[in-house]
Amino acid sequence: MSGSLPTAKPCAIPDTPLAHAMPGLDTCVHCGFCLQACPTYLALNDENDSPRGRIVLMRALVEGDLSLDDPAVQTHIDRCLGCRGCESACPSGVPYGQLLEATRATLTARRPLPAVVRLALGVFARPWALGTALAMGRLARGTGVASLLAGVKGRLGFAFAMLQSTALPIKRKNYTARGDGSRGSVAVLQGCVMEGLFAGTNRATARVLTVNDYRVVAAPGEGCCGALHAHAGDLETARTLARRNIAAFEKSGAELVAVNASGCGAMMKEYGHLLHDDPAWRERAERLASRVRDVSELLAAAGPRPGAALPLHVTYDAPCHLVHAQHISAPPLAVLRAIPELQLTPLVDADQCCGSAGIYNLVEPETSNAVLAPKLAHVAETGAALVATGNPGCLMQIGAGLARAGSTTRVVHPIDLLDASYARRDA
Amino acid sequence: MSHDALGAALAAIVGERQVLVRPSELLVYATDGLPGYRKQPGIAVFPRTRDELVQVVRLLAREGVPFVPRGAGTGLSGGALADGSVLLGLNRLTRVLSVDAENRLAVVEPGVVNVHLTRAVAPYGLHYAPDPSSQAACTIGGNVAENAGGPHCLKYGVTLNHVVALTVILPDGDIVTLGSADGERDGYDLVGCFVGSEGCFGVALDATVRLTRNPQAVRTLLADFTSMDAAARATSAIIAAGIVPAALEMMDQATIRAVEASIYAAGYPTDAAAVLLMELDGLEAGIDVDVEKLRTICLDGGARAVRIARDEGERTRLWQGRKKAFGAMGRISSHLVVQDAVIPRTRLPEVLRLIAQIGAAERLSVCNVFHAGDGNLHPNIPYNANDPDESARVHRAMRAIMRACVDAGGSVTGEHGIGLDKIDYMPRIFSPESLDAMCRLRAVFDPARRANPGKVVPVRSCREWTQAPATR
Repeated sequence: MSGSLPTAKPCAIPDTPLAHAMPGLDTCVHCGFCLQACPTYLALNDENDSPRGRIVLMRALVEGDLSLDDPAVQTHIDRCLGCRGCESACPSGVPYGQLLEATRATLTARRPLPAVVRLALGVFARPWALGTALAMGRLARGTGVASLLAGVKGRLGFAFAMLQSTALPIKRKNYTARGDGSRGSVAVLQGCVMEGLFAGTNRATARVLTVNDYRVVAAPGEGCCGALHAHAGDLETARTLARRNIAAFEKSGAELVAVNASGCGAMMKEYGHLLHDDPAWRERAERLASRVRDVSELLAAAGPRPGAALPLHVTYDAPCHLVHAQHISAPPLAVLRAIPELQLTPLVDADQCCGSAGIYNLVEPETSNAVLAPKLAHVAETGAALVATGNPGCLMQIGAGLARAGSTTRVVHPIDLLDASYARRDA
Repeated sequence: MSHDALGAALAAIVGERQVLVRPSELLVYATDGLPGYRKQPGIAVFPRTRDELVQVVRLLAREGVPFVPRGAGTGLSGGALADGSVLLGLNRLTRVLSVDAENRLAVVEPGVVNVHLTRAVAPYGLHYAPDPSSQAACTIGGNVAENAGGPHCLKYGVTLNHVVALTVILPDGDIVTLGSADGERDGYDLVGCFVGSEGCFGVALDATVRLTRNPQAVRTLLADFTSMDAAARATSAIIAAGIVPAALEMMDQATIRAVEASIYAAGYPTDAAAVLLMELDGLEAGIDVDVEKLRTICLDGGARAVRIARDEGERTRLWQGRKKAFGAMGRISSHLVVQDAVIPRTRLPEVLRLIAQIGAAERLSVCNVFHAGDGNLHPNIPYNANDPDESARVHRAMRAIMRACVDAGGSVTGEHGIGLDKIDYMPRIFSPESLDAMCRLRAVFDPARRANPGKVVPVRSCREWTQAPATR
C-alpha cells in the first residue's frame, strides 16, 4: 500500500432513507464474493447489475458522485430482483435487502414509479380492487380462458400461463383434520394472492397445522403484508399495511403467526425494521415479528407427522425469501420427507432465484426470462413430475415457464402435498 | 479516434450491450477488490467469444489505444484499474473448452471462475489445485495474470505450476502459443514469463491447465494456541520435522472473532490468541501417523487443544471460515486495508511481534490471517476513513510493516501482485539494473506499453523511457 486509502465524503442526500442506511453500505469490503451468488450478474455479466456494483452506485448517490436522476443508476437498481442471494454469500453481513429498499424509497421520492407498478401496487393495497382482480383471474382459470391464452406471445400470454399454473395439479380427498392443539395457538396469514389464487393452500395450511397439534385461530382483518410495496420503494403504503396486520394478529390472541408464502414471511419478520422510526408502533411491530414463522418451521418442529404414501416424483426449489432472507433450508425438506414413497430428486442451484421476485417478471420481463431459463433447464434435468416451492410468485413463475416451454411438469406448494398425504391417511 | 468513435467501433464488433461508455455506468469499474483506489476507465468492453476478443485487441492495436484486462475484479493490488483507458472485461468468456481426464488437462477460457473449473472436473475425481480464498468469484485469467496462490499451494504449488500452455494475443494483435500441452517445453520457459505478468504482456485467449487427482485421504486439523508466538514457532517446527501439509494457515484472535460473527462461523475458539488450520492429504495408509506427529508438535509447542474435523461438513466449515475471513473483517470497521508480504518462515515469530508492536504504537487493530506454511503474511487493518488521524496512522503502520518484512529478508507481495498498490516499493527491493531488465522483457511482449500501463514497474525505471518511444 503505497499511498491511497479509501476516503469518506460528506453526504449529498441528507435525511433520505439511503443516507440513514449508510452504516450498512460501509460494511461492504468489495471482496466480490457476492458476484456468483447474484442472478442478474450471472445473466448479464455486468458489475452494474451485481450486489457489489449496486453498493458502489448507492454509495455514489450518497456521496454525490451520481445524481438520483441518473437514468442508468435507476435502471440498475430497478433491475435487482431483491432475492438477497448475496446475503447468503456475504462474509461481512451487508444488509443488502434493507439497502435496496432504502435506495428504492429514496429514488421513488424523486420520480414516479412506472405506471404498471403503480397500478399493481394500488390494486394490492385495496382489498376490494384486489378481490375483484383475483376473482376475474379465478374466472379465467376456471373457464379455461387462461389455458387458452397461456400460449400467446409476450407478457400477456405469460400472465395467463401464471394464472393457469395456480390450479392444484394433484387430486385431494376431503378429510377432517384432528389434533390435540397441544403445541399452542397459531393464526395463519391468508394474505392477498394466496387467498385469491391459492385459497386451497390456505385451507390445507390450517389442516396440516391442526394435524400437527397446533390450534388454528382466525385473525379477521389481516391481509396483504406490504412486501411488494416495500420492495418497490413505497415504504409508506407498506407501513400502513403492516400496521393493519399487526393490529389484526394482536387481536387474534394467537401465540404464533404461520405464513405459507415465504415473501410475506420475510416481510413480516422485518416489520420491526419497517416501523423502526414510528414510536407508537415500533415495539408492537418487533413483538409481532418475533412471533412470525414459516409454516414449514412449525411443521418441522412438530416432526411433522408422517402421512400416507404418495408415490410422486418431486423436486424442491428453495424460494429466495425463505432460504436467503429467512435462512430456512431444511424444514421444507422435512415436510416433503414426511410423505412416504415420495421420490425427492435434488435440484441443481435450487437456491438460485427463478426470476419471479414479486412483480419483477411483469416489469423486467427480459431479465426475468434470462434468470428463469437455467431454472427450467435444471428442473428438466431432474425428470420430476412436480416442482415443490413455498411461495406464490415462484409457483407461478416456474409454473408459467414450464407450461410455455411445453413441459408436463407442474408446480405445487409443499403444504398441498403434505395435506394430500394426510387426506389419504384419513380416508 | 474519439471516445465516441472508439465506442461505436467496439460496439460494431461486440454489439452495443457489450460496451459501456457512460461515466455513470463505468463508476463500478473504477475499483477492484482493493477499494482504496479509484481509476475510472473511459470505455469498458466485454467480448463474449474468442473471435470478438481478437477483433477488439486488434482494433485497439490499430488505434494505439491502451487497455487493461480484467477478470472478476477481485484482485487486491489495484491491478485491474484502467485510468481513462479501455477496460477489457474477460468475464463473459466462461467456457471450459475441453477436459482431458486421462492426461489430467483442461483448456479454459480466461473468464472461467476458478471453482467452476473444479466443479466441471469433479465427475472425473479431479480438481484444479490453486485455490485462492476468492476462488468462488475469481477467474482463471486473473489467476494467471497474478500467479495466484492459495492455502493449498504450500504442497501443490502456485498457478505457475499448473499452467502448461497458453494461447496469447499480444497487444499488437499477433496470436502466439506459449508452452505445450504435450510434454516438456523446448527452449525458454515463456509460460513462466507470462504467468504473473499482471496483464502487461498480453491477453490469454485460453489456458491449458493441469488437473490434480483428488487425494485418497484428507485430514483437517485445528490447533488452538494462547499466543501468536507459540503458533508461529509450531509452524516452523512442523516443516522442520519434514512434514509437508497440504495447507498450513494461521488466524489471529481479531480474525477469528470476525469470522465467528459472520454466516461463515466455523466454530473457531474465540478466546484463542491464534489458531493453526492444517490439512494433510495423500494415501490413506500412513496419513494418521503424520496426523499424530502434527498433533504432538502442536501440543508440545503449547497448543491448548488440537481438533480433527470429523466429517466433510466440518472440514468445509473450517475452510469456508478461513477463506471468507478477509470479507468478514468488513464488520469490524467501516474501511479495511488488505496487505500481502512474504518473509522467511523461520522469522515468523519475530516479525509477527514487530507487527503487533507497530499496531499497538499506532493504536490500531491488526488482523492477521495468512499462509503460515510459506511465510506469506496478510496483516489487514480495519479502520474508519472518516477519521483523518486514524487514516494517517494506518498509512504509517502499513509502511512500517512492509519495511519490517523487507528488512527480514522478505518481499512486498506473495500472491496479490504489485499492480498499483506496491509499485512504489519496487525500487526498494530491486536494483535499477533489475528493473531495467524487467522493462526490456516487457518490451518483447508489448513494446508500445499499451497493455495495463502504469502497473508493476515504475516507468521511470525503464532506461529507454526518456529516449524515443519504443519502435518495433
